[in-house]
Amino acid sequence: MLDTLFQASILVSIAAATVRIATPLLLAALGELVAERGGVYNMGLEGMMLMGAFTGYLAAYESGSLWVGVAAAGFTGALMAFVFAVMVITLKVEQIVTGLAVNLLGAGLSTYWLRAAFAGDGQTPTIPFFANAPIPYLSELPYVGPVLFDQKLITYLAFLMVPAVWFFLYRTRYGLILRCAGDNPKALDVKGIAVAPVQYAAVVFGGLMAGLGGAFLSVGSAARFVPEMTNGRGWLAIIIVIAGLWRPWSILVAALLFSFLDALQLQIQGIGIAIPYQLLLMMPYVAAIVALMVRRSRASAPAMLGVPYLRE
Amino acid sequence: MTPNETPRLSVRHLTKRFGPLVANDDISLDVMPGELHCLLGENGAGKSTLSSCLYGLYRPDGGEIWVDGRPVHLNSPSDAIAAGMGMVHQHFVLVPSFTVMENIAVGAGSGWRLDYAGVLDRIRSICDAYAIELDPSQPIGELSVGEQQWVEIVKVLYMGARLLILDEPTAVLTPDESKKLFTVIERLLADGISVLLISHKMAEVMRSDAVSVLRKGRLVGTVRTADTTRDELTSMMVGRRVSAPVRVDGEAAGQERMLAVRDLVRLRDTRRVLDGISFDVAKGEILGLAGVSGNGQDELFECLCGLVAPDEGSVTLADKPLHGLSVAEVAAEGVGYVPSDRFRDGLVADLTVSENLVLGQHWQGRWRRGPFLDRGALDANARRAIETYSIAAGGPDSACRKLSGGNAQKVILAREFTKASKLLLCNQPTRGLDVGAIEFVHRELVRKRDEGCAVLLASEELEDLFALCNRIGVMFRGRLLAILDARSATHEEVGRLMAGQESAGAA
Amino acid sequence: MSEFSLAGWRLERRIEQSRFSRPIGLAVALVGAILVCSVLFVSAGANPLTAFATLAKGSFGSLRVTGETLVKATPLIFTGLAACVAFRARLWNIGAEGQVFAGAMFAFWMQHNLGGYPALVQIPIVVAGGIAGGALYAGLAAVLKTRFSVDEVISTVMLNYIIVYVLSMLLLRGPWSEAGGFFEQSARIDRGAVLPIVLAGTRLHAGFLLAIVAAVLVYFLLKRTPLGYEIKAAGSNLRALDVQGTNTRRLILVVFLVSGALAGLAGVTEVYGVQYRLKAGAIAGYGYSGIIVAILGQLHPAGVVVAAILFGALLNGAILMQITTGVPSALIYAVQAILLLFFLAGWAACNFRLRRIADA
Repeated sequence: MLDTLFQASILVSIAAATVRIATPLLLAALGELVAERGGVYNMGLEGMMLMGAFTGYLAAYESGSLWVGVAAAGFTGALMAFVFAVMVITLKVEQIVTGLAVNLLGAGLSTYWLRAAFAGDGQTPTIPFFANAPIPYLSELPYVGPVLFDQKLITYLAFLMVPAVWFFLYRTRYGLILRCAGDNPKALDVKGIAVAPVQYAAVVFGGLMAGLGGAFLSVGSAARFVPEMTNGRGWLAIIIVIAGLWRPWSILVAALLFSFLDALQLQIQGIGIAIPYQLLLMMPYVAAIVALMVRRSRASAPAMLGVPYLRE
Repeated sequence: MTPNETPRLSVRHLTKRFGPLVANDDISLDVMPGELHCLLGENGAGKSTLSSCLYGLYRPDGGEIWVDGRPVHLNSPSDAIAAGMGMVHQHFVLVPSFTVMENIAVGAGSGWRLDYAGVLDRIRSICDAYAIELDPSQPIGELSVGEQQWVEIVKVLYMGARLLILDEPTAVLTPDESKKLFTVIERLLADGISVLLISHKMAEVMRSDAVSVLRKGRLVGTVRTADTTRDELTSMMVGRRVSAPVRVDGEAAGQERMLAVRDLVRLRDTRRVLDGISFDVAKGEILGLAGVSGNGQDELFECLCGLVAPDEGSVTLADKPLHGLSVAEVAAEGVGYVPSDRFRDGLVADLTVSENLVLGQHWQGRWRRGPFLDRGALDANARRAIETYSIAAGGPDSACRKLSGGNAQKVILAREFTKASKLLLCNQPTRGLDVGAIEFVHRELVRKRDEGCAVLLASEELEDLFALCNRIGVMFRGRLLAILDARSATHEEVGRLMAGQESAGAA
Repeated sequence: MSEFSLAGWRLERRIEQSRFSRPIGLAVALVGAILVCSVLFVSAGANPLTAFATLAKGSFGSLRVTGETLVKATPLIFTGLAACVAFRARLWNIGAEGQVFAGAMFAFWMQHNLGGYPALVQIPIVVAGGIAGGALYAGLAAVLKTRFSVDEVISTVMLNYIIVYVLSMLLLRGPWSEAGGFFEQSARIDRGAVLPIVLAGTRLHAGFLLAIVAAVLVYFLLKRTPLGYEIKAAGSNLRALDVQGTNTRRLILVVFLVSGALAGLAGVTEVYGVQYRLKAGAIAGYGYSGIIVAILGQLHPAGVVVAAILFGALLNGAILMQITTGVPSALIYAVQAILLLFFLAGWAACNFRLRRIADA
């Protein structure tokens, strides 16, 4: 049985699936990274991804265009993040509780709206989802080709965001300001730079990315919206940021590791090895806990993460 | 200084209220270009409020501010910076994970590019102009506190400040570093930059050109330093004649050893934050620990009170081993601990006075009736403490959050003094307190000593130590350099030891 | 002062919290929720007034329906109390969801082979099992926090997902599934384990009384005992407790155990009082709703009971609402979140004050 697993084609298929599955995680995690670097702990990621998935699906269905769906998803995520930002940055409500409220809102609203919009239909209608966009020449390379260069456009975007976010954080003036906001916002304040707009921008960006990640799930692969379809991916994105020690490239590695587990589990199910599928589905969550146990060092976290800035 | 020169800074009738409290009441003063102007006042007099108003952190409720002859409205720090104000806070505002250069440069410039080359140039020219030594590529975490202050100063100069507000800059410096600071200040003054120095150290105040004295929010007066004396300034500051703390020696300090510390070592990563500390404290003796904060005092107290176990060495109380015991066990042996950070380590702000008085003892039988807390007992205890220690609180049920620093300290003292039958550990007990409260704490420490308790007192105020202690030890970089007899030692000797110079007569 | 200015007005943060911040927060929550709901009703093609009316009728319109409201409130009281205890200590136990499962599962494991024994034997065992199961599962998160520095928010959420799969393994063609059944559920529980009905003509069972008792006990625990004192202190300044000699690791563990035990009871009362079967659908959702109940109830046991009954009313009324007006009952979950958000916003807004700027 193990030799079936190790056939080249199966491994390639697992690798390609890993890259594909990593897409929403990577998008959400990079968005969360930016928000957390600004000092805001956005726990409502799950809700934003879910609403992104739903509005992406609904907009794509109503308009007939997939890209309109993606845009709507991004916009929804950004909008929810903006509301979250108002509560957490300006009104200084506890970040954890507000994030939870956003999660529940996203879950409840998306389920309700789905039922309301498609009341009569038995099964919600499918939409044609994004086809792969293979890059010419590169996608034909043996092994590497199908894995890296025969994916959907959103996937390419997600992976390109890794160096983009890295460059932004470490090579631009704005990135320096953002990192200062997360480590010591008072240092910005005494220089006459308002902290709140920086944090707002970071949080809204995080929401935008979460929405896009959600869109990938519905518009990009599942072709429909199912209630609670994110199934904890928002939480995994938060864990990936921690496991990646708040650094873009390490986050990429962490995201790929988690996605690999998921891809592996799918393949094992497909082959029909006699492991209860629930155990396999549990793996990412158990792995998340293990990852946090191992990565104990919180010293890499932005120093003022989660603490609303108050000019005393 | 020409008589008709426009003042760099002119403040007229500045008032700032916080609810019913008037922190600044109708304050008017002038600072000339190139002048070292001192702002003197005890804790709570309104110095920080005034400087915050000048930096745009607070908006005054009344009055005007003029800079170089033009009226300005300082609604935010960016307005203040544009007007040429710069402020170095008492607690630094630096990002430990950034380098010196990044701390200075963050936010400066425009656009998205980072122009490190240009930033470096500018930093170098500022450092050269004022003889400041800095390595721009060093991470802040590696700098000592004194070195960090230079970064703060350069940061402020980088933004083009023409008036520097320095808030208690020498509080964390050794005497040597303070001298260096004043050299730089002199060069700044020569360049026409004004310096507003907030300090309560008389030695520094006397070096200034002019002094404005604040008391309870009002300006008592502005005098030219050359025309006044220390005593006059002190009485302006406090409102009555106050002389330097007088030594009150009790009966001859007992020879009976109470606390014995031997070769105490504590490691943080690979650094020895406590490096082989040994000393004794006898019954009825106050042993002082001099030294700038950050040289191991906090770590020593944490080991003694049982919060952290030492990596090597031993601590015994009346020959009973104390090291390795938990905090509760140590307290049960008759040890009281007054921590340096009142509101972080000593009190829970949201609990009431009566609740805070039993913090740590709340499971004990005398505060309980069956499974429940005995509110009556707590209440009675609180009333007693409020009476005995004159704690100005609304009542046993007022939240400690509302207490002033002095009264919060009284609550802690009330609690810890009752616990301390054998040993009292005090870390910076008079920090941030006004003169009245400081006198109170001194009296209480002496009383405790006279009752036969052994007292270990760490303080940054040499005057306090010389007035209270039988012997004074000096801590430097985790080591106890020497223990001197308080009656025969001099301030200079202690000052030198505080700077790490062990041999007498060294430069 | 933290400030924010726009167009001649300035938003300033108050120094002292206004006494009215909580009632105003609740009022804002109510008004905001009603407004948003009306919008949602209209967008679903229903008349808001009719929808609200059926909501009310469906919650308290008759004895049977009122009893049903209290039935729905029961698990929420337990999970609300669970969140109340933990949140007061600033321990973010988001895992009530999973602890409800754990309590139900542990109780079932202890009870399901005891068929035939009298209620006097089975019911105490079931209650004990619920307490133990919830407590142990919460204790796991506590150990992860104190020994391994794993943030409790994340660990409890992960544990929520994990236990759902564990239950599924046990119930889907597993050792606990109903013999010969097709669904992912257990066999009907033994009659001796059924919680007795306490109000004739309704489904209101003894679990509700147990919930009220629990609320009273939690009140005394929080207000009068040394443990309650430690919880209050921990919620404000955990470090000071440490420095003053309290074993905060043990405190964290105890708080999680108590919190988990309460949540576990929610699982027990649902399985043994209402559904009479162990299945995921019976026990899911109460954990998260309980958190909202706790916050709206101001983290006070009495408030929790009131808020839980309110939510029970909403859940119940929504069923009638869906039948009559066609508005999907899933709206209620969105409503809960909206109530919470508006409450938090309204409460926080009271910390600010608008001032006109005199000069430019």
